[in-house]
Amino acid sequence: MINFGFSINRPRTIDIDRNNLRKSNEIIREMPELQACIGCGSCTATCTAGNLTEFNFRKVHTLVRRGEYQGAYEEMNKCMLCGKCRLVCPRGINTRGIVMLIKRKLGDF
Amino acid sequence: MKHVIVIGGGVAGMQCASELLRQGLAVTIIEKEQDLGGKVRNWHKLFPTFTPADEVLSAMRHRLKISNNLKIRTGCQATTITANSVTLCSGEELKCDATVIATGFTLFDAQIKEEYGYGIYDNVITSAELEQMFNENNVHLAHGGTPKRIAILHCVGSRDEKVCQRHCSKVCCVTGVKQAIELKKLFPAADVFNFYMDIRMFGPGYEEMYREAQTAYNVHFVRGRISEVSPTFNSQLQIKAEDTLTGRPLKMSVDMLVLLIGMKSNEHNITLRNECNLLAQPSGFMQPQDSFIGNVTSNVDGIFYAGTITAPKNVGESINEGTAAARAVIEWLNKH
Amino acid sequence: MTFFAKFCIPFIIGETVLFTVLAIKYFTWLRDLPKKDWKLIITNFFSLRSISALGEVISESLLHRRIFKVNPRLGYMHMSLAFGWFLLIFVGFLETIAYLGLRWIPLQGHVFFKYFVPLNGISDHIPAFDFTMDLLLLFVLSGVAMAWFKRIRSRALGMKKTTKHTFFDRIALSALWFIFPLRLIAESVTTSMYGGGSFLTGSIGNALSNILSINTLTHIYEPAWWLYSLALGTFFIAMPFSRYMHIFTEIPLIFLRHYKLQPEAKEKSYDNFEVEACSRCGICIDPCQLQSQLGINDVQSVYFLRDRRYNMLQQKIANNCLMCGRCEQICPVGINLNTLRLNSRSSMRNIPHEGRYNYLRGVDKSFGAGKVGYFAGCMTLLTPNTLNAMRSIFEAAHEQVWWADKDGGVCCGRPLMLSGEVDSAQKMIDYNKSLFAKHQISTLVTSCPICLKVFREEYQLEGIEILHHSEYILRLIKQGRLKIGYQHDATFTYHDPCELGRGSGIYNEPRAVIEAVGKLLEPTHNRKNALCCGSSVANTAISDAQQLTIATKVASELEATGAQAIVTACPLCKKAITRGTQQRVVDLSEIVAQNIKQ
Repeated sequence: MINFGFSINRPRTIDIDRNNLRKSNEIIREMPELQACIGCGSCTATCTAGNLTEFNFRKVHTLVRRGEYQGAYEEMNKCMLCGKCRLVCPRGINTRGIVMLIKRKLGDF
Repeated sequence: MKHVIVIGGGVAGMQCASELLRQGLAVTIIEKEQDLGGKVRNWHKLFPTFTPADEVLSAMRHRLKISNNLKIRTGCQATTITANSVTLCSGEELKCDATVIATGFTLFDAQIKEEYGYGIYDNVITSAELEQMFNENNVHLAHGGTPKRIAILHCVGSRDEKVCQRHCSKVCCVTGVKQAIELKKLFPAADVFNFYMDIRMFGPGYEEMYREAQTAYNVHFVRGRISEVSPTFNSQLQIKAEDTLTGRPLKMSVDMLVLLIGMKSNEHNITLRNECNLLAQPSGFMQPQDSFIGNVTSNVDGIFYAGTITAPKNVGESINEGTAAARAVIEWLNKH
Repeated sequence: MTFFAKFCIPFIIGETVLFTVLAIKYFTWLRDLPKKDWKLIITNFFSLRSISALGEVISESLLHRRIFKVNPRLGYMHMSLAFGWFLLIFVGFLETIAYLGLRWIPLQGHVFFKYFVPLNGISDHIPAFDFTMDLLLLFVLSGVAMAWFKRIRSRALGMKKTTKHTFFDRIALSALWFIFPLRLIAESVTTSMYGGGSFLTGSIGNALSNILSINTLTHIYEPAWWLYSLALGTFFIAMPFSRYMHIFTEIPLIFLRHYKLQPEAKEKSYDNFEVEACSRCGICIDPCQLQSQLGINDVQSVYFLRDRRYNMLQQKIANNCLMCGRCEQICPVGINLNTLRLNSRSSMRNIPHEGRYNYLRGVDKSFGAGKVGYFAGCMTLLTPNTLNAMRSIFEAAHEQVWWADKDGGVCCGRPLMLSGEVDSAQKMIDYNKSLFAKHQISTLVTSCPICLKVFREEYQLEGIEILHHSEYILRLIKQGRLKIGYQHDATFTYHDPCELGRGSGIYNEPRAVIEAVGKLLEPTHNRKNALCCGSSVANTAISDAQQLTIATKVASELEATGAQAIVTACPLCKKAITRGTQQRVVDLSEIVAQNIKQ
């Protein structure tokens, strides 16, 4: 990368007007239950990977739903798919399915 | 003289019975416990005014004047119920002109949420047990000593599809705040943390109490649901949650964990549904005719509901429903 | 004799297409076999394995012994078609030799023997052949009749649901159904004109000659043979592209399997033999709980193999499987259905990523020290009763224990493998292996059957004995290190976890442990036929509500035993079944810990 001597910070605002929600909509259409998340954080609290590294499933999927995809695939790759989160989710969300779906949509496979 | 059977002698049933007596009807109360009063009997103080539960109960008992028109059958349970008869589990059948079902709710069994360690670790207690301790004026740790750090977990057995309890139990949030204040009053030096998913302060004075807990009592509120509890070396409890407002996992050791257990529909409701042709909601609570003008009327003519048989409610609402049910019964009897 | 008539053309085209396609398929499949597989074939070819394979070909490809076990009537139907047809060909060949001597005759000469060699031209007629051939034809026709009947009432043949066939399968199927009735007609018309035949073709032939004039018979003689040849030709052309490819594929498959070839975590050429050996008999549909309890009927192994074979497999089909193994267990062809599904998932999802799970480096959250390592498993951390019970058991047995993941460890890797990300799973395997090596354990105990299976099959832990806690507890009891007070009035029922039972073959140990504590009452489906709790980590497609439906059904069967408590030996099964019942659900270790005699 060329060093111009300055850098542009990523905007702090989640700009829903600018964000492209196409993939987000596709994800929600395929698994509408994701919208049932009430953000209680149980999944993240119990997360085997989150216990060892900075990985926050709740935050990543929420950002994806807002059209913020940057880095989401790499973050989801930290998940070990162990399935504890699915056992604790009070909204009965198929969290493992969501991880796989987000990766499939963002990784295009 | 018309005769009405009220099943359940909690606050809703007591209020309903006293209204009916006042209007000159004969009433029989059927109560499965040895004493009237229902769940309120085991409660220490009631939110948001910290009114002693005993005060409310004695006022209720006072209203329920002893008269020849009142019969109280304690220690017996009703099985099948129709508008004109109630069968007791002894097999005895009582005749009547109308029935009011005020059998209330069951407390959620916290052992089902195994990961919270209730019944496994000492010092994991339920909100009901804490009230009992308050009543006995003896809040202490399992092996003696006073708690220095206490966590209160909201929504145990409420809003949780994993235990097939989708509904909100309505009163736990405010109970949690109330108990936090009471704990702080008892142990001013202790830290009290409330772990919540949403705080639902729906009633008058509730929000004010919440604010008071935060500012006057320095109760901590963490927005995140505890996912696991494990023991530590020094017999404390380690809890894990996500502090969702900072987006980071949180763990802490506490001396005591209070589980705010939710309201579950009675198992008897299944009998009501299967054998008495009464409609139940998916939550298991009974289905009133509608939520506006028929909320104490059942789908069967002559059977009425009062209190938490139809949904979680607080004490005041339950008492009001007792009155409403009595009025509905009288109206219906006058028509027939 | 020329052995050619115009009506033979459809048949000749059919056989040419069939054998050409078969040759191409087998050539490419064999050519693409990995070196390792070729080595196995070469070393095992001249051994007793070939003979035992031949035996299995007879008992399975011809007699269909395994289908007989599923249902005798269904077995008979499949056997009459396969074995009957084989005998028709074989006896027909003997008949040709008997009449014409041992010499080369084109295939149509054998098949249409009755046409080319009318019996009135033969001096030394052997009626025994006529009788045998008629008997065999009747045998096959009875199977065809049953197949027709199965379309109307499959339950009579022990099948609640049958396969929904593709268009091509339907063509092949119809052609097959018509082959034998048409053969009967063609041969009967021939006997009506030229004599011969026995109780079947002979009698019909006699009847025909009585009803119809010789003129009419001459007119329908050629067309009858045309129709027979057309049916055969159509079937042969459809065969290599339809389900009937299994007829030929199953034979090499059996040999290769006897040479120790098997499918692996990633797709390879050998898989073709397994995939195309599926006859789409549909026996795998009924045991599938996604079908019987959720009404999902496009994901079962038969459809998965079909979609994979025709390259139209979708992730949602491949992912929607509990991998409980109930279908694999009953599959009459013995196809490794779970492994094939896994390597399909792998082809669809395995994206190797070098830097993935780098965060595992240097992590060690383990605790304690001892020769025995205890790996609770991620899910067990959510069932602390099990952890507590295991601690009591270790203490009572005075065992020094190293706790690998009490405060959260690294996943065993199996859930990731089950979802197809095989290469990434290897990173967790490597991590845990080095952790076990670092702490120098000689025995590894786990409470989670999912971990157990991957430890045993993928970890290659030399010098470390891997035990499920049921095996470990039983050993302690047998060694006298753990004394248990038998409860005379306690009754338990046991739910076999899929990964423990069908997955690792552990059925007896948990039962022996339960019987040391109290009385064991078996549910309707147990051991190999046990139901799945529905919460399997292998399925990422069904919803929470669907999992609950399955759990409730399973729980009701366990409740029906009348036992005081439902016992299982898997944290996931425990969590799942608890949701479906009011009954007490406990892990095996809990009932042991509660009844330890000091």
